[in-house]
Amino acid sequence: MVKSTSKDAQDLFRSLHSAYSATPTNLKIIDMYVVFAVFTALIQVAYMALVGSFPFNSFLSGVLSCVGTAVLAVCLRIQVNKENKEFKSHPPLGSYLEYSYRIWHQNEHLQILYSATWSSTWSSSTSSD
Amino acid sequence: MMNLSRSVALISLFLLPLLSFSFSVDNPTDQRVLVLLDDLSLKSSHSIFFGSLKSRGFDLDFKLADDSKLALQRYGQFLYDGLIIFAPSTERFGGSLDSKSIADFVDSGRDLILSADTSASDLIRGIALECGVDFDEDSSAMVIDHSSFPLSDGDHTLIAADDLVKSDVILGKSKIEAPVLFRGVAHSLNPTNNLVLKVLSASPSAYSANPSSKLSSPPQLTGSAISLVSVMQARNNARVVISGSLQLFSDRLFRSAVQKAGSPNKYEKSGNEQFATELSKWVFHERGHLKAGSLVHHRVGETDEPAIYRIKDDLEFSVEILEWSGRSWEPYVADDVQVQFYMMSPYVLKTLSTDKKGMFHTSFKVPDVYGVFQFKVEYEKLGYTTLSLSKQIPVRPYRHNEYERFIPTAYPYYGACFTTMAGFFVFSFVYLYHK
Repeated sequence: MVKSTSKDAQDLFRSLHSAYSATPTNLKIIDMYVVFAVFTALIQVAYMALVGSFPFNSFLSGVLSCVGTAVLAVCLRIQVNKENKEFKSHPPLGSYLEYSYRIWHQNEHLQILYSATWSSTWSSSTSSD
Repeated sequence: MMNLSRSVALISLFLLPLLSFSFSVDNPTDQRVLVLLDDLSLKSSHSIFFGSLKSRGFDLDFKLADDSKLALQRYGQFLYDGLIIFAPSTERFGGSLDSKSIADFVDSGRDLILSADTSASDLIRGIALECGVDFDEDSSAMVIDHSSFPLSDGDHTLIAADDLVKSDVILGKSKIEAPVLFRGVAHSLNPTNNLVLKVLSASPSAYSANPSSKLSSPPQLTGSAISLVSVMQARNNARVVISGSLQLFSDRLFRSAVQKAGSPNKYEKSGNEQFATELSKWVFHERGHLKAGSLVHHRVGETDEPAIYRIKDDLEFSVEILEWSGRSWEPYVADDVQVQFYMMSPYVLKTLSTDKKGMFHTSFKVPDVYGVFQFKVEYEKLGYTTLSLSKQIPVRPYRHNEYERFIPTAYPYYGACFTTMAGFFVFSFVYLYHK
């Protein structure tokens, strides 16, 4: 029983690997970028676990910008994927421009979030003792 | 009407030179002392003590205790700075003196030497009680000690006491070697009263009883709880000496030789004269009187006093304390003056260091709490006048532009934002221009 499950796992991994190598290069680039963004976010979460959540606003801005850019990159990948029948009519460049706009919009939200949480850290740091 | 007011003005003008010869803030030693005696022969039997007071510049005014013209105040001004009551058997004072006027006298900051003897009247007991000293209730009791008596005495009522308080301020720098001779009544102090102090205590073998009758029950006052001479320094720095023996101040005991029973040392002269002289110097503010200048504080590196401090400022604090030497103000030298930075409880308590010229200083960091603080110096050393100084100063938190611009703990997050930006640019190039 054990032998067969490990063999199944190996077969599964090999089939995934071969299927993935068939994807077009531009999608692979997007995937790499998503992995990079999520990895950066995970590093920040690990750092916060070590030193504590002060200053929380900086933590939020760092993590959310990484996570947000990862999510928007995934949206781009969905739109650009030729096998996706919904978005056949959309030109690839238009999708990219939409993606850029979304990134910019997300940064604007983060500016507001950052300054809002920064003012709350003033009062928390002076009343801490 | 006009004539009356003019004559009052004229009389007060006459009194003006009289008023300048009294103790003042700049010259705290007493000048004019009223001496109440119940027998004028005390002037000659205690001449050494009174002579030493006169030679130090005191203006002694001898009066009988029932003199009908006795007055401590006239027109609201006190006529004397010090009072010596050597009248243990007086039931009532003459003139306008009574225990209430004597209590007012001490309340105004003036000093008192009160002595009982083998008998103490109720009046003297009442005055002593006002000062926190309890004489033995039995009016015929005296202090008896069967092991601390001088060899010359027969019935052990003359005591040779050497249990003196250890204080250079009260008893002078030189140690009193010979025992102090005492014959009189015992008194005790309430242990919760922190203003009174035993200067001369009885030995553990002493007790208070009637020497001529047999004891029917154990005596109430025994051992070291018996005080022979006590002092009190009131909260307004008035000083009171209460002695159970008038003979302690007499010429006979000043001059007599002492050899304590059971001790090989024979002294040519008892310690009485040195004891009485040093005690009178202390009680009339020739010694142990402190004066403080204003508290000075400023930030490190500045000289002006700011109106408000910020939390975590570095500040320097200094105060000047002088000691009266009997003639002039000398710098006070001590290593136990402390300052508190106080708001409901002391946040900072530091011992001040002195430059031996009277300036006491220290520096510390303002604590990380904002509010209205006080610099407080509360100095209560045994035998010295109490110093109670305070100065209020507010402390504010950081202004919004006084915080650090970039928080070091957040550098990874700043880095992450910038790498995300860089990653986005790189990704865009690669994605758009790959083939």
